Amino acid sequence: MVKHGIIAVLIVSSLFSENIYERSCVGCHKELPTSLQEMFKRYLLVYSGEQNVKSALKHYLKHPLKEISVMDDLFIENYGIKDKTTLSDSDIDEALDSYWEKYKVFGKLK
Amino acid sequence: MLVLKNKDTSSLLRSEKKSLSRFLTLYATMVVLLITLLSLFYYQGKEKLMLFDQRAMLTKYAYIQTKRLKVLHHYFDERTEYPRDPRFKSAIYDLEYKKIFSLLSKEKIHFDEEVYIAGDTIHLVKALDEFYLGAKYLVIEIPNDGAWRGEGWKNIIGYGFLALLFFMIFGLYLAKMFLKPMRDSIVLLDRFIKDTTHELNTPLSAILANIEMMDTEMMGEKNKSKLARIAIAAKTVSVLYKDLTFLTLEQDRKNHDENIALKELILDRAEYFSVLVQSKQLDFSLDLGNANMMADRRKLTRVIDNLISNAIKYNKRGGTLGITLRQGMLLIWDTGIGIKKENIPFIFDRYIRFNESEGGFGVGLSIVKQILDEYHVLVEVKSSEEEGTSMVLRW
Repeated sequence: MVKHGIIAVLIVSSLFSENIYERSCVGCHKELPTSLQEMFKRYLLVYSGEQNVKSALKHYLKHPLKEISVMDDLFIENYGIKDKTTLSDSDIDEALDSYWEKYKVFGKLK
Repeated sequence: MLVLKNKDTSSLLRSEKKSLSRFLTLYATMVVLLITLLSLFYYQGKEKLMLFDQRAMLTKYAYIQTKRLKVLHHYFDERTEYPRDPRFKSAIYDLEYKKIFSLLSKEKIHFDEEVYIAGDTIHLVKALDEFYLGAKYLVIEIPNDGAWRGEGWKNIIGYGFLALLFFMIFGLYLAKMFLKPMRDSIVLLDRFIKDTTHELNTPLSAILANIEMMDTEMMGEKNKSKLARIAIAAKTVSVLYKDLTFLTLEQDRKNHDENIALKELILDRAEYFSVLVQSKQLDFSLDLGNANMMADRRKLTRVIDNLISNAIKYNKRGGTLGITLRQGMLLIWDTGIGIKKENIPFIFDRYIRFNESEGGFGVGLSIVKQILDEYHVLVEVKSSEEEGTSMVLRW
């Protein structure tokens, strides 16, 4: 009984310790052949600066369109475009901050 | 009361020099300004030419670095080593001008310029079409050896000096051309006086000699006073004649300096002018000590004659004319009309006259100053309008 209780507490705490990015983005993208890092690099290639990249991502999450996707046609043909996000603005911002921090180039070059 | 202490030779040449120096100062300022401006344009042109030359090479380096960035972008973050090249240094900045990575020695980037000089380096700012690693701007840096600058300065100094020299010679020529009419009028006046002086000599000598020879004992009082007036007039003309002769014919004559006992000389000249003094009913106040001076007697006589003559001419009727002599100092003063404060600095200028009521050419004091300067005698002029003037000579 005690053992079961500990397991339940661990599951709940691990769920709450994950940030919004981990919970809302990583799960779905695991299924795709293009990694989140590859997609980040595509955004960098097109939008450059932090604010520009974040704004573009936010706009795409809220209004996903084939025409403004950074992915190539073959990828879109096979996997389509994502559904409109259900996250609030603040959640999107938080998720994007985490995404940016994880894959940004700043401070990684030697 | 204003005191003038002036050791410079005051003549019309002074105003000529003044005009010349004013013109040349203005002209030189303009020329220097023009040359500086041209030098600046030349320097900027030279800099642009150098940057234009370097631009092709910098663009080639930017192209090479872009290719390397493309590869790094593809393999990021398995590979994180920023591409380096011994020929140049580089840096990448994002769209918001944030530094992504830099190897530059000069970190201040002018994103609004394509090629520019940054201290001892040259920068090329290349805006990328594709933002590899999020880089919008690629900056390439190479060292600036400054060889063009040394050559530029050499040319600026060399050609600038030559241009300055040319313009200054041209300016002198221009100045002389502008001053020619003034000089011509002076030469004309000098020539006129010279010619006139020649013609005065014979009749004046005849008048003075005949006055001396006339037997006044046989004359009535009326005729005596008439003769005295003729003598005054003749002596006045004689002083003027001697001044003009000195000015035009004798001033270049060699000096015969001797030790002159000034007391005797002044007494002699006072005697000469006594008729004029009496005619104006002046009180002659002489206080003469013993004093000597090494000078040419003829020149010193001109100085004393002119100073006494002026003290008589510009004195009030019934006034006083005083002469005080001490070793190293001679004071001649009067109780005359005085000189206006603003005119005192110009009284020794040639052809300058401030009082038209008395005759003359305005050459007397110019001669006095010329002689005093020659013998390094300091002259002080103290004058108050309607009170009188005193001239102090110190040697």
